[in-house]
Amino acid sequence: MAANPTPRPGLHPLRQAVTPEQIVEDSALDAEQRSAAAEIAAPAGPTKLTVDGLSFFYGDFKALDKVSLAVPERQITALIGPSGCGKSTLLRVFNRMYDLIPGARAEGRVTLDGEDLLGKDTDLISLRQRVGMVFQRPNPFPMSIFDNIAYGPRILGDRKGLGEVVEQSLRQAALWDEVKDRLKKSALGLSGGQQQRLVIARVLAVQPEVILMDEPASALDPIATLKIEELMQQLKEHYTIVIVTHNMQQAARTSDQCAFMMMNPQRYGELIEFGPTVEIFNRPRNKLTEDYITGRFG
Amino acid sequence: MTRTLFDQELEDVRTTASRMGALVEEAIRHSVQALLQHDRDLANSVIEGDSRINSLHLQLREEVFTVMATQAPVARDLRMLVGLQYIGAELERIGDYAARIAKRARRLADQPRTATYVELGQMADLVERQVHDILDAFIRVDKDAAIAVAKRDDDIDRLYRRVFAEQISALAADPDHVEQTQYLLNIAHTLERIGDRVTNVAEDIVFLDTGQVVELD
Repeated sequence: MAANPTPRPGLHPLRQAVTPEQIVEDSALDAEQRSAAAEIAAPAGPTKLTVDGLSFFYGDFKALDKVSLAVPERQITALIGPSGCGKSTLLRVFNRMYDLIPGARAEGRVTLDGEDLLGKDTDLISLRQRVGMVFQRPNPFPMSIFDNIAYGPRILGDRKGLGEVVEQSLRQAALWDEVKDRLKKSALGLSGGQQQRLVIARVLAVQPEVILMDEPASALDPIATLKIEELMQQLKEHYTIVIVTHNMQQAARTSDQCAFMMMNPQRYGELIEFGPTVEIFNRPRNKLTEDYITGRFG
Repeated sequence: MTRTLFDQELEDVRTTASRMGALVEEAIRHSVQALLQHDRDLANSVIEGDSRINSLHLQLREEVFTVMATQAPVARDLRMLVGLQYIGAELERIGDYAARIAKRARRLADQPRTATYVELGQMADLVERQVHDILDAFIRVDKDAAIAVAKRDDDIDRLYRRVFAEQISALAADPDHVEQTQYLLNIAHTLERIGDRVTNVAEDIVFLDTGQVVELD
């Protein structure tokens, strides 16, 4: 029989070299072991957003079925899954964007720093200031670069030190050096990648805590895409980021945590697996996740 | 959604590794035959054949890199490719060991037979079977079979110690054949090393099957 291998310090027990008798079949993992495995490589930290038993309806159509997950603070959480699995719906719950859709309603509990988001009393202006959103296609307003960034602070009544806010936001969005000499020019003259970073700067100008990104690079070329991904890594030092992406490699490259969602047989979107990205892409625990990320889904 | 081209490319890499395995298995069998039967020609054919194993190893490496670069594999697919890379390196080394045995066999071929090679023959049989069985486990990606093969390495080690004692006794009884004894000891040691490489391959198979690093020696 093989001797017990020497444990390697700092490595999770399920990642240590094992004897043949210690090999763990995924199917044999009990709930505690699964939970331990899911914690591998997950830096300890507070939870920013908590989703507990969330179901979501568009009229009679149920788009999400009892989704529960905890989005850690100042990390990047990626939502992946095939079209129609409800990942964009989940993203839009985080800042109540669905309030704009007639007949849309959420059941369950979603909290931001422990405060309920779904209640009727929630101040949506404040919520959307705290939870900003970046969409698939850059949507600069038809005004100058400066006014785009200053738009949010002005709405919020913050008119002092606008120049400083604009510069700081553009610097944080890694766009300042490219636009500092043309702040009064129209934002529509920027390239697609620049426009998307401008939109991110516009979100940053109102000092959010969470940034939601719905396929933020899908309309961009590879270099502009990499710039956005680099920017995300810098931004996560100060902000919690949740990104929806169809690009599996982007999820693997950028995120710390990854949630795989898909439609169940009733066509409700559900969460299949949630855990550290490194685990999801190296050794997913659910066969559905493995089939999807290896491209053998269907 | 399927990945027909990717699946075909993965299968091609596995086939290359399997072809390497078949050549390595044959090389061991022939090198031992050449030793036991004092067959110089057979020894030469093993030595010359090692270049085919080496070129298949280069081909395997190239194929693995190409699939990794173009298909961005993850999870099980990535483990399979990395595992094939490891296994290819082990097979290449086992091929070198077979060539080493053949070189010793060629030296001994022209000399009078001084030993019966009984236990060395048993050891060679066992090593051959180990190589055959581990390649079978690899083709089926069967971790249980791989572990079972690795466990039999203890039998090889036991036989090695007996062969070693046998040859040392023979040397004490007949000091005139130092050179032959040294060759035979070297061959026994090489067979024992092949056994260790088989164990490494078994660990690789467990990894690509389960994603877990196991120590089997």
